[in-house]
Amino acid sequence: MKRALMLWLLLLCAGAAQAHKASDAYLILEADATGLSERVDIALRDLDRELQLDADDNGQLSWGELRARAGEIDQLARQGLDMTLTDADGGRCTPQALAPLQIETRSDGRYAVLQRRWQCRAPAQVLTLSYRLFAASDPTHRGVLSLRGPAGAAQTLVLSPDGHATPLRLGAAHSLLSVLRDGVHHIWIGLDHILFLLALLLPAVLVREGNHWRPATRLRPVLLDVLGVVSAFTLAHSITLALAAFEILSPPSRWVESLIAASVLLAALNNLWPLLLHGRWRLTFAFGLVHGFGFASALRELGLQREALAGPLLMFNLGVELGQLAVVAGFMGLVWGLRRRPGYPRWVLGGGSLLIALLALVWLLERSLDLDLLSPR
Amino acid sequence: MRRLPSLLILLLLSLRGLASPYTPQADEEVLEQLPRRLAAVPRQGLALPQALGLAQAALQRARQEGDPRELGRAQALLAPWWHLPAPPPAVRLLRASMLQTQHQFDAALQDLDALLASASTPLALRAQAELTRAALLQLRGRWPEARSACTRLAGHSYAALGAAVQVHGRVCLAELDSLQGRNESAAAALAQLARYPQAPAAWILLLRAELAERRGLAEAEALYRQALQAEPSIYTRAALADWLLARRRWAEAAALVLSQQSNQAELMRLPDALLLRLAIAWRAGGDARASEAAAQLQERFEAAALRGDGSAHARERARYALDVRPDAGAALQQAIANWALQREPADAWLLWRAAQLPAAPKPLAAQARQAFEQFRRESGMQDARWSAAS
Repeated sequence: MKRALMLWLLLLCAGAAQAHKASDAYLILEADATGLSERVDIALRDLDRELQLDADDNGQLSWGELRARAGEIDQLARQGLDMTLTDADGGRCTPQALAPLQIETRSDGRYAVLQRRWQCRAPAQVLTLSYRLFAASDPTHRGVLSLRGPAGAAQTLVLSPDGHATPLRLGAAHSLLSVLRDGVHHIWIGLDHILFLLALLLPAVLVREGNHWRPATRLRPVLLDVLGVVSAFTLAHSITLALAAFEILSPPSRWVESLIAASVLLAALNNLWPLLLHGRWRLTFAFGLVHGFGFASALRELGLQREALAGPLLMFNLGVELGQLAVVAGFMGLVWGLRRRPGYPRWVLGGGSLLIALLALVWLLERSLDLDLLSPR
Repeated sequence: MRRLPSLLILLLLSLRGLASPYTPQADEEVLEQLPRRLAAVPRQGLALPQALGLAQAALQRARQEGDPRELGRAQALLAPWWHLPAPPPAVRLLRASMLQTQHQFDAALQDLDALLASASTPLALRAQAELTRAALLQLRGRWPEARSACTRLAGHSYAALGAAVQVHGRVCLAELDSLQGRNESAAAALAQLARYPQAPAAWILLLRAELAERRGLAEAEALYRQALQAEPSIYTRAALADWLLARRRWAEAAALVLSQQSNQAELMRLPDALLLRLAIAWRAGGDARASEAAAQLQERFEAAALRGDGSAHARERARYALDVRPDAGAALQQAIANWALQREPADAWLLWRAAQLPAAPKPLAAQARQAFEQFRRESGMQDARWSAAS
């Protein structure tokens, strides 16, 4: 025991770690519309420890020695990296044959590069990984995983060789059509945007004379007015949507959401106590700018890559406009038919605007003061 | 499994440095220099004494060669006991040493405290735990606690183990004295202790060299060289290289660092601490390979950060930002982060240097200066590298 003690004591002066890099393998997985490309880089030193690749045992590993054992290396990698991949339809994707072995030079030595493709019938969706490479010979080994989904969103994970199965969602592919649908969807579920439009459209079928409203007689001026309002709104929110999407401007969302509520409130109040009758497009333009920032946060939730933003941005905006056009067309048809009813100014315009104003007031309080008034706790 | 999305940028940066994979031209092309092959060891079913012996040897190689893969091998050998809350004392002691080497200081201290608290720890292991703990406490700047540990070692508690333990205790006390500004008496004590047959010669030589350097004495160089000869450790080699660098002897520093390399073109085999000194020597000496060495270091830091080991490199990163790719902000940040982990003279020197940088961000520089001044007041340390200037 005393001998052992002496040996140990000598170690002390070695001090703290003169860290060289510990053992890492690099997994680079990139999903696309028809499957996934897999690349695994494993340090030659780790492979030699495991498989004794240095056949002539001269302390130098040559390309010939390595190449002769490519099959075993792949087998080792596949045992260490258990991977299943399913596509968007729930089908199993199938691994293709291993590409010819290659070499990568990294800062701490050379690595064997194993590459293969996984073929899917639909975009790859769920990847389940269980990692246990070198678990028995080096528990400090780690797998550094870089995972890129079909939409380009990437993540990095550090895998311990513990064999736990980890399911990873690659995210649905964002086809341009789906982004268009998202745009439509957003305007339809975005009650605040719709109510803002409705508040602007409710009085469009009436003409103000003194203190009274009377039904409009000719369709053309009504349509021109609506066109002006809708165009101003569209132009304004397109500008700010683009500015926010490219991260040129990104105001705090609490301010944006509060101002959107305020815009709905003001538009409704203007119907009850008309101050601004002509040129409402100016007001619409100003508030449209705010709504654009609101759309941008919905676009951001899709997690698109900034480099590939132009196409999706255009489609998303187009979706918003289409959704908006449908709302406007349907609603104008309805109120044009109702405008001559004697109760329209009082009950539809007045009552409707009052309801919108009340709801907008609640939103404004909630959003600006960070309260929760409507939804149950 | 941890999720590290913020490290994505790092990964992209580290991938940027990569050439794409290639196919070698000829079967004869040598791809890798391999470490000595060890006798094959059965993976499972090793008895404890056998596993311990092999793991100790692996730990020693890890420290001599600076290769953390050996730590992984040692951990694999101890796998049946590694995750036990209270493994057998010998395993626990080894685990503490390995955790210390991996900069997991708190976990290492926990194991050492538990070993000393348990009545069933054999005396020899207890002495080793005490000494390891003293070294760790000293590294962290917890000197009063380190001093009590060294005092116990130098006293009669471990007399049954022979004179060696007492000598180690006295060396340890002399080292603490030398850190606290009692330079002359410490130097005399170390010189005297070196004459004992049971004395740890290499350790004492290194301590004397470091003390001589702090005292600004030219004899430091000869002491460093003797220490390196007594035990060719990476730490000592790096310390001697630093001595040469401080004297602008760039070519000698580079040659010293590379003297162990069989193939001088392959920087990738150099441990981080030595590659760092090489990068400094080459840059200052105007060597054409300077940027290659710097890029390699940068890549290693990024790779370590990717696996979550970023903080273990704070000392090297601070030095890198001071002397390889000057960046006042990064130098200060790393020096301050390192100071939270390690408080040896080398760390104080880095902190002081970073705080002196003219381009340093003001609040960080003030923070570093304050930490340094407080340390200097409380420790009484004297170091020619900064005493004269401040």
